[in-house]
Amino acid sequence: MTDLLSSVPLAGADGPDGRRGGRRGGGVAHRPDWGWLEDPADAPTPEVLARAREAADRLLADHGVTYGGDRRDGDDAWRLDPEPVIVDEGEWQRLDRGLAQRALLLDAVLQDLYGPRRLLSDRLLPPHVVLAHPGFLREVDGVRLPGRRELVLTATDLVRDASGGWCAVADRTQAPSGAGYAMEDRRVVSQVMAGVYRQASIARLGPFFRALRTALHAVRPASSDGAGAIVLLTSGEASETAFDQAYLASMLGLPLVEGSDLVVRGGRVWLHGLDGLERVDVVLRRLDADWCDPLDLRAGSRLGVPGLVRAVRGGAVSVVNPLGSSVLESPALLRYLPRLARVVLDEDLLLPSAPTWWCGEEAARAHVLTRLDRLTLLPTTHGPGSGAVLGWQLDAAGRAALRARIEAEPWAWVAQEPVGPSGPVVDLAAAEPEGPDALVPPPTGDLLPAPGAPGTPGGRAADAAGGPAAAVLRTFAVAHHEGYTVMAGGLARVSAGPVVSSALGAAAKDVWVLANPDAARPPTQEMPVVTVTGVARRDGTGDDRGGTVEMSVEMFDEGPQRVTGLSPRTAENLWWLGRYAERAEDTVRVLRAVGDRWDDYHRTPWSPGGRALAALLASLVPAAVPAGASAGTSDGTSVVPVAGPPPGTVDADGRLVAPRLRDLMLDDRTPGTVAASVRRSARAAGAVRDQLSPDAFGPLARIERALRDERLRVRPGSPGQGPAVTAGLRGTLDRVLEGLLALAGVSSEGLVRDSGWRFLDAGRRIERAQHLVTTLLGTVVQARPPQVDDLVLESVLLVHESAMTYRRRQQGRGVEAGGLLELLVQDRTNPRSLAYQLHRLRDDLTAVPGTGRAPDQRDHLLADVVDLVEELEAVPVAAAVEDDGRRGRLAEQLESMRWRLLALADEVERVHMARPLPVRSLEDPWDAGDLRGPLDGRGTP
Amino acid sequence: MSRTYDLVHRTRYVYTAPVTGSYGRTTTTPRDLPDQRCLTTALVVDPEPADTAAHTDWFGNRTTYYAVTTPHTELVVTARSRVEVTRVAPDPATLPDHAWETVAERVATGAVGTDLLAVREAVLPSAHVATTDAVRAWAAPTFTAGRPLAEVLVELAHRIRTELAYRSGSTTVRTTQDELLAQGAGVCQDFAHLMIAALRAHGLPARYVSGYIETRPRPGREKLRGADASHAWVAAWLPGAGWVDVDPTNDRFVDDQYVVLGWGRDYDDVPPLRGVIFTERSGSSLTVEVDLVPAGSDPFL
Repeated sequence: MTDLLSSVPLAGADGPDGRRGGRRGGGVAHRPDWGWLEDPADAPTPEVLARAREAADRLLADHGVTYGGDRRDGDDAWRLDPEPVIVDEGEWQRLDRGLAQRALLLDAVLQDLYGPRRLLSDRLLPPHVVLAHPGFLREVDGVRLPGRRELVLTATDLVRDASGGWCAVADRTQAPSGAGYAMEDRRVVSQVMAGVYRQASIARLGPFFRALRTALHAVRPASSDGAGAIVLLTSGEASETAFDQAYLASMLGLPLVEGSDLVVRGGRVWLHGLDGLERVDVVLRRLDADWCDPLDLRAGSRLGVPGLVRAVRGGAVSVVNPLGSSVLESPALLRYLPRLARVVLDEDLLLPSAPTWWCGEEAARAHVLTRLDRLTLLPTTHGPGSGAVLGWQLDAAGRAALRARIEAEPWAWVAQEPVGPSGPVVDLAAAEPEGPDALVPPPTGDLLPAPGAPGTPGGRAADAAGGPAAAVLRTFAVAHHEGYTVMAGGLARVSAGPVVSSALGAAAKDVWVLANPDAARPPTQEMPVVTVTGVARRDGTGDDRGGTVEMSVEMFDEGPQRVTGLSPRTAENLWWLGRYAERAEDTVRVLRAVGDRWDDYHRTPWSPGGRALAALLASLVPAAVPAGASAGTSDGTSVVPVAGPPPGTVDADGRLVAPRLRDLMLDDRTPGTVAASVRRSARAAGAVRDQLSPDAFGPLARIERALRDERLRVRPGSPGQGPAVTAGLRGTLDRVLEGLLALAGVSSEGLVRDSGWRFLDAGRRIERAQHLVTTLLGTVVQARPPQVDDLVLESVLLVHESAMTYRRRQQGRGVEAGGLLELLVQDRTNPRSLAYQLHRLRDDLTAVPGTGRAPDQRDHLLADVVDLVEELEAVPVAAAVEDDGRRGRLAEQLESMRWRLLALADEVERVHMARPLPVRSLEDPWDAGDLRGPLDGRGTP
Repeated sequence: MSRTYDLVHRTRYVYTAPVTGSYGRTTTTPRDLPDQRCLTTALVVDPEPADTAAHTDWFGNRTTYYAVTTPHTELVVTARSRVEVTRVAPDPATLPDHAWETVAERVATGAVGTDLLAVREAVLPSAHVATTDAVRAWAAPTFTAGRPLAEVLVELAHRIRTELAYRSGSTTVRTTQDELLAQGAGVCQDFAHLMIAALRAHGLPARYVSGYIETRPRPGREKLRGADASHAWVAAWLPGAGWVDVDPTNDRFVDDQYVVLGWGRDYDDVPPLRGVIFTERSGSSLTVEVDLVPAGSDPFL
């Protein structure tokens, strides 16, 4: 018997070739062997596993772990099956040697291809394999990284073959993804499977990440004084693997940057920092090489840095993996590795690859064409794993078409024999494609199994009846000292069908390399060290003895970076995180206050309570009132007539029209709703993951879960009727508010007061200030009969979290506009007041550097609002009610504040968040028509 | 016998909005060859770039990178060279007599001497050159069995000159060979690409050459200065002769009336200038002036 990935305990010794010895029975196991546990009864039962799955899903959501870009309602959740793959140490050691040797070989090939090119010959490595590969970048020919290696980071996808041995199906050398997911999987599994995890002595992932960090420092340019930044260049928050990239950046303590954050000046690469330009020594790229420079590589790329190739050629910056490394991903290379190993290393290749044929060789082509129905065909000119054709899924016509394509361009095709313990395993662009390739459909449609076709992965692979059918293990290796350090474990992915691809729903598994099955050691927990603004922090639960301390010390053996890494883009994301979080909170409080009034008064529209309710609906939640109903104008000013409810809030029968309060809470497609603001907060947070505590993601995830739960719940009663308006509202709002307060707590208590925090706080302050002034304009400007106003103003106090204070101070008297204005506008001790927000805003803004225009206008606007607040004579203006029932002077003064606050927000963005201008391609001279026409016989045109 | 030329190539962009950064690479410096020597050369970028770097690319062409980081609304890149050309056009009758199939066979088996990579690279499709059915069909009448490659070259050039119309502005950098054949008109780059595609479709190495051809004034007229232009043609590989330059636009082999800038797989490898700019608005006007005259003429520009 064999297993998809895990080791299988055997009576006999391993075979001499490193493969597993004799088989025990037939078939494929889907469960790891738990026989090493001291008490076999501890082996996880299906019930334990089911609970662990739920717990894992929750933890992953709390940590904001996503795959597949921005999708709603958890479609983008990272799928993890907590039951680990378990590989014993002896087997892993052989694998480790094979992977390290493979990395050395690939590195040697890479050095040759961009150097002497001795290997390029029909005898060793046919030139077409390299010359026709899109990853062979002639622009960087001759460029070398400092140090011994060109290939710094490499990943290899492995499957078990029918005899149980390991077999490589693909190498990922461009910008391998998945190491961050592997670490996160370990973090989660160690918690939800703590019972067995503690009994095991599991090899740690930490050494790999330390080796990676060391490797990045080791390739600093020779000209560097060691002070330049090391950054992680991301393919952006819309990338499928955005989490993996951001998490890796925070684990390594590297600023997460986009191409537009970098600029080439004087032949060097610089980071646009808030304090000016900061030099960059090393770029760990997660962007495909051809997108990295719109000048010398792919024209039109907006993700890259113009001039990067020039800086690389000049030796002023080191890019890891080097530009051009993806040529090693050509599947044709698998064919030639054995003979290359003998020539280059004078060794036999330890780790076999799946049987592979390159159709550019005549004999191979003939072989392939007779067996199209049994092979996987891979185009060599696509990205890794995309465009694959599963020959056995084609009908006769499909095979004929494929044959014609192969015969037309034989060198463009590779055939691979599908291997697997019980059937074919097809490794399709797993956590790929990186970068903007994700924006185009990776595998062409006709090449993917049709939905519902046999072998189509559906839903959660691990849950499928009969268990997973195919599995791929992605291993990682990093150049370290003399050789390569292989991650002890990796990222396993399992699928119900033969195609294993995260994009198609494959589930991940943690991989435990069991150190010594016989000697259970003291329990240790491995937790990633996440650096937050220069401070090492631990996360997780339980025992923190063991590796944690070791890791947090060694992670910084190179010394922390002295760069801020804070780009205008980061500042902008933090600012908007603050604004959206506050906007969500403001909306929640409004909905709570209005919802309560609705429950109390919607049946009695002509009572004082009913009239107060109508006024509140029109002024605070105009978007929830049916079309045309809103009496509040877009700027929040209200022209509500004194007598009777505002127009549109009542129907022909005089009953209040049911407002769509639930939509205002749940509809994440409409801007301004709670759900939309939370979504935007989460997106902003995800884009600055390297700046935030991981604790910030839990509350956001819980809020989204609360909203999702409520959205899915069917509430009784027709939505147009009174009680249904607030069904489920209050409970959900409370849960959402809890989450928002937790988030506010994390930002106020869990972050260093650096520039990043200042922007986060400033965003919150400006938003709260604008909201306050807008609601006051909508509610307090209009004077109403005392019993009505009392209820309206009380709601205003509730919305601004100041009702308790007001009551305490006013000793039970009704709410008066003058007192309310003093408390909400002028009282600097009230953290909800306008004066307080302005005070904080001034502190924040003076503490941050600007990158754009001078701050004069910004300061001017802020000072004006401060003056207006101080000069406001609250009680007299509240008393100055005009004939039309409006407090005209108050309206004027609030309006002065309102537009200034709007202008101030714009000005802050102009001063601090000036983004570089967009990159555009110059018009091509061809298109300008500057061309020589034919000459006549005399040589004249 | 040799001819010496003074060459000026000036590219000017005028923008509608200020440009804060301009990064470019130009291939307007003639390369040295056995039958061509670049005696002097200078490249001037205005405004003055903060950084420039000369680079000899994969194909051996002389390129220059520049980065202008002072705000500007007009960019002028001027290359001036003095070039001595001793090139003699081959007589087709004396070119090595290899059937085109034999040449394709030698390329496939690697019997090509020391130039294996360059030769193999030149049979592969490239950014602007695809070997499509339409190209194959167009080329088929020329590729009769056993025909010497030299003859094939002569006929392809002649057919392009006679079957396709030269029409300035009729194509863009994105025009394909299929589109060219469908519309029956194009410019020199299109003609070069078509001939390259026809050769590659038959396993024959061909590359794209960027350069200039000297134009002469009509008898009794002054030469119109600065009205010369970029030109492009084809180099095909013929065993025993090496790379043979053929100009399908003018239906002739390349001689000392031509100046070679450089070559690549197609236009994409050797545009005279390519660049990116940082600016709020798109919108620019581009003018190119080229002047190729016998050395010692009154200076232009």
